[in-house]
Order: sequence, then structure tokens, then C-alpha cells
Amino acid sequence: MLNRLRHGENTAEDGSSADLSAASVSIRKADFNAPFPAGLEYAAPARGSWNIVHQGMLIPEAHQIFVCAEGCLRGVVLTAAEMGAGERFSMISIREENVLKGDMEDLITDGVSDILKKLRTLPPAVLIYTSCIHHFMGCDLPLVYKRLREKFPTVSFTDCYMNPIMRKSGLTPDQIMRKQLYSLLEPAAEKKENVVDLIGSSFPMEETGDMMRMLRNGGKTVRDLTLCRTYAEYRKMNEASVCISVLPPAKAAGEELEKRLGMKHLYLPFCYGYDEIRENLGILSEKLKIPEEDRESGIALAEKALLAAHRLIGDTPVAIDYTATPRPLGLARLLTEHGFCVSGVYADSFTGEEKEDFLWLQRNAPELVLHPTAEVSMRVMPRHTEKKLLAFGQKAAYFTGTRFFVNTVEAAGLYGYDGVRRTAEMMMEAYLHEKDTKTRIQVKGLGCGCCV
Amino acid sequence: MIKLAFYGKGGIGKSTTVSNLAAVLAGKGLKVMQIGCDPKADSTILLRHGREIPTVLDLVRNRKDDFTLHDMVMVGFGNVVCVEAGGPTPGLGCAGRGIITALEKLNEKGAYEVYQPDVVLYDVLGDVVCGGFSMPMRNGYADKVFILTSGENMAIHAAANIAMALDNFKGRGYAELGGLILNRRNVKNEEEKVGELAGDIHSQIVGMLSQSRIVQEAEEKNMTVIEAFPESTMAEEYRVLAEQILAVSGPVKKPENAEGKGRVC
Repeated sequence: MLNRLRHGENTAEDGSSADLSAASVSIRKADFNAPFPAGLEYAAPARGSWNIVHQGMLIPEAHQIFVCAEGCLRGVVLTAAEMGAGERFSMISIREENVLKGDMEDLITDGVSDILKKLRTLPPAVLIYTSCIHHFMGCDLPLVYKRLREKFPTVSFTDCYMNPIMRKSGLTPDQIMRKQLYSLLEPAAEKKENVVDLIGSSFPMEETGDMMRMLRNGGKTVRDLTLCRTYAEYRKMNEASVCISVLPPAKAAGEELEKRLGMKHLYLPFCYGYDEIRENLGILSEKLKIPEEDRESGIALAEKALLAAHRLIGDTPVAIDYTATPRPLGLARLLTEHGFCVSGVYADSFTGEEKEDFLWLQRNAPELVLHPTAEVSMRVMPRHTEKKLLAFGQKAAYFTGTRFFVNTVEAAGLYGYDGVRRTAEMMMEAYLHEKDTKTRIQVKGLGCGCCV
Repeated sequence: MIKLAFYGKGGIGKSTTVSNLAAVLAGKGLKVMQIGCDPKADSTILLRHGREIPTVLDLVRNRKDDFTLHDMVMVGFGNVVCVEAGGPTPGLGCAGRGIITALEKLNEKGAYEVYQPDVVLYDVLGDVVCGGFSMPMRNGYADKVFILTSGENMAIHAAANIAMALDNFKGRGYAELGGLILNRRNVKNEEEKVGELAGDIHSQIVGMLSQSRIVQEAEEKNMTVIEAFPESTMAEEYRVLAEQILAVSGPVKKPENAEGKGRVC
């Protein structure tokens, strides 16, 4: 029988005693930007966030080839299968004899060649994912790609990585993957002043969002990988004179495009604070020489939606997680400022962009509880709520055990004052409509077109 | 810029020879960078007069990525830019992986662009024991590999292995074998034995060094022979060897100066 206990008590999900002291800290006592100790980690079965397979599949017609030990292939194979993208996915398994022979370069070259020869049609692009063993052994990847490009001159190859040991040093796998998504773009013969690329998001930006409206009304042609249907369309993204990223893990991609293709990169981070939104839209207007939208009406609509949401949700506790939004503290602040009862934020660390909101919450909501998602005691943390709770994101839903949650990842295409408005609307919708949490959150890659 | 890697059995005198070559080349007005690829981290010790230098791997271990290029280098005798890759904790970790990390980190921090050396010398530990130690041979690193050997059987065996590794990499665009350097130990038929090895691997002996007490005396002073005993016969041997190596490796083209005039050494 399951125990129904509140967070903070030292009784685990199964009723046994457990040290849960590392599973929560009030923001008053928390360190910025990593409030929890690093160590053995737990992966919650909330699988909506996109992984490197989902992201790679955004490049139309491209084929993915993973090169690693069979045990490591399991997860990515399942992802591809769940997406119904098995035809665009192949793998090369590494065995101990390859390590002993030192023929890693030949294994990739021969394996990829064999796969490409067996495909019905030669794909225009191939993403090769090498793994930590290549890194350990110093596999000469430039040589591998040189040989493959010579052998298949009509195919564009790029290097992707499934390298968990590099997860906490240098660029993260997420940053690298988002960067590599644009590595197949070649320098354009001519840049087009009116073309703008939106980069690094897994979802298209909503047409109602302030940024998109400004771009459209300013006469800009917007290109976005998530909207490309053919490889030819993708390749035309190289014509943009400006690229815009709004998510922290996409920033490196923009910097790379600026450096390599000479695009002007604007990093205009997704946020909830009206001042920051105003600043970002001001930069957009200035740099692209396009008019700003009516700020006051945007704010008014956002405020109206927040007021309506608060009227409906009232004092119901709200828990937020970092997979749903890149600014969980920004959202906690916005909601606190508007009278909501934010009970918890689930995040293992925060980006530097969240510091101001962190300090604000320390001053104005000192008892707000922060929870990790990967700290190992979260595995046994009781996952129940006695009263109704609204979660913003799958991990928050999982850890609180609520059936009322906003099912979203990475702020899926929201932006600006309109993003605030839509956030409030999504909360109302989630508050009113109960969901089967377990069924919803166990599907990998929310919105990627899962076929199971 | 020319990039040269020096391999050979452990204890054969690579670091001493490479440091003296660095000192000779620096004396010719060239900007030299010497990169020690040995966990012992003592390749450049004579150029830096025994002063401690943080190794690249120490910096990576202790400071993750929070260090600059200048933290990784020390300018030694003759303004030679000294770098030590370092290694893992003795008995633990992977030395080959360490070399890879160190060389990648140097690239990442822009070592070659910032210091713009005319000559880069990689002093690489012993035999090619794994992929990590072949890293300096790869495209983008050394252009030529020189193997130090004496007439001792173990040294010849190690030299043959290194040559075999290079042969395995044929067609990959890696460094070419520049030749053998005979560092004499005065064993019987030494020159003939090394000459025979050179024939077997289709190469040549590019230079020879005598066994000399002067080398040890200079080491006791924590200096190269070039610095400690510049007038000695041994110093002259290093100068001759430097010329022989440059003859095989091609002239060093200095970057163009402000007047747009380059210089060839």
C-alpha cells in the first residue's frame, strides 16, 4: 500500500525510511546556480523532452547512423522506432575486437558505406553519431569524414555525438546537437537581407507571438528548420542575413552560424518579465529595422489572461519544472507577482539568465521550495498530492503525482507578451482538464510525431 | 610553420635532444614551441631551468575549463614556448587519452594562432603504445616524425614499432617519417645496426649524436648544452643535427613582417 505523505518527510514512496534531505531546499537557503550536490543520478520517466535522435530527425530526408556498443544503442533505437522513423535510422555496433584491433576508423567508414549502399535511395545528408569510446580512443574522425566525403560526393555528412562523459564539460550534448543541426548549411553565394532564420528550437514559433508578428509585419521571410519539409528547403536557410535564437542551448548554434556563415546572430532569450521582453523586442526592431508592435495592448492581453487564470486557479499550488520552460524561476516570479501560490520548482541547476529572478524570489518568496530532478533520492520521494495541484511540465507532474498539468516542453514556440498570455491560457486549460499523467509523460519527444 | 615529432624508446634521450634542438633553432631567430607529450612532464625542464610548470592535464583536472592559454605555457631559454601535456594519476587513468586531451586543449585555446611559432617540436613518450600517442602524427599536428635510437636492441625494436605505426597510417595523410637520429650508446656495431634498421624501414639516418659527459653536466645545471656549454663539441653536434633536420623538413618560412617581406631560415 502506498503511503500518502508530504514532501520533506523521511519516508520513501514505498513506505520505507530514506534520507530525503537532499530532495528539497527552500530558495532562501539555496545556492545559485546549482543548489543540489552532484552525484548518483536518477532519470524520471517523464520523457517528453527531445533527445538527440528527435532533434536530428528535424533535418528533412537526412539519415542517422549511430556507432556505439549495442547496450548503448537501445535507447536511441527505441526513440527512432517510437517516432516511426526506423527507415531513417541505422546503426553500427562496436565490439571489443574493434577496440583491440584499433580499426575504429575503418569500422565507421566501411559500416557507413555498407549502410548507404543498402538504402533504396541515397539520402542527401547523413548524421553520424559517434560515442564515448571514439572519444576515449582518440578515433581520427576528421579522417573518417574525409574518406566518406570522397566516397559519397553527393552526400553531406556531419558529425553528431552520443557522448555522455562530456555531459558536464564544454558544450553540453544538447548544445552540440542544436549546433550541428545547422552544420550542413553551406556558405550562400548571396545573402538575402529580408530572410531571417529562427534557429535552435524544436518547435516552430507561434504565429501569434510578438516576435513572429514583428517579423511578418516587417516583411521578413522567416525560415525555421522545424518548418522545412525538404532538404532543399533546409539548405536555403543559408541565405539568411540574420539568425535568431531564443533558447539557452541554441545560443552556441547562433554563434557558430555567425562565425561560419557570416549571419548576424541575435540571442533574444525567451522570458516572462515584461521589461526583458520589451528590451528583446526593442533589439529585434533596431537590428532588423522593423517596427515594434503595440506593447501596451500586448501587456494588457497578458495581464487579462493572468487575471483570469488566477481567478480560476486561486490558491491551488503550482509546481514548475525546467523541462517545460527554460525560465522556471522567471515563471515562478511572474506567477508569484500575480498572486498565484507557487509551491515548488523542479530543476537541478539554473542558467545565469535566471539569477535576477532567483534573487527576487529569495527576497519575496523565501519559502519557495526547490527540488532537484536528478538527485538520487528523488527516486524514492513520495509522489502524491493530497490536494489538487497544478503542474507546469511533465517532471513536476510526475514528482507531485498530479493529474492536472501543462503538457509542454521547452516553452514550445511561445514568445513575448503573447507567450505570457498563452502560458496563462495553458494553465487554465490544464487546471480544468484532468489527464492520464502516466500515459502522457512516458512518450518520448513530445510533439515529435510519436507513433505509439 | 613546421611541426616535428620525436619518438623513441623511453630513456633514449628524446627530451634532452629536443630541448637542445629547440635552443639551437631559437638561437637562429626562430620562434620555437616545445610540447612535451609525456606524463612525466619533464620534456622542457632544461629550457625552464627546473622551474615548475602546470601541466595541461593538471589544469584540466583542477580548473576544468577555467584557465587561459597563458596558464598552460612557460617561456624558457631562448624564448622557447614550453608546454607539458602531463598525465593521469600514476597507476590510474589513461595516458593516451591524456595526450589527446592536452593536444585538443592547446588547439582549442588557440596556442598556434596566438604564439605563431615557426617550429613546433612534439616530444612524445616512448613507443606508440596506443592511439593517444599517435596523436602528434596526425594530420594537423606533426609534418615529420624523427625516431631517436641507439644501437641497443630494445631501442631498435621500439624504433621499428614506431616506423610500423607510421607505415600503418600510410594513406591517411599523417606525418611522414623524416628519419632516424642515432644517439650513440657506444654499443658494438652501433652505426651498422641502426643503418640496417634504416634500410629495413626505407628511411635514413639523418644525424648522429655522440655519447658525451657534457650532456649530463649540462643537465646537472638544469640547462641545455647549448646554454651551458655553447662552445663545446656537443653543442656543435646539436647545431649540425638541427641543420640536418631542417634539410629534411624543408625551410622554415617566417611570417611576413610589417614591410611584407618574409624570411627563410
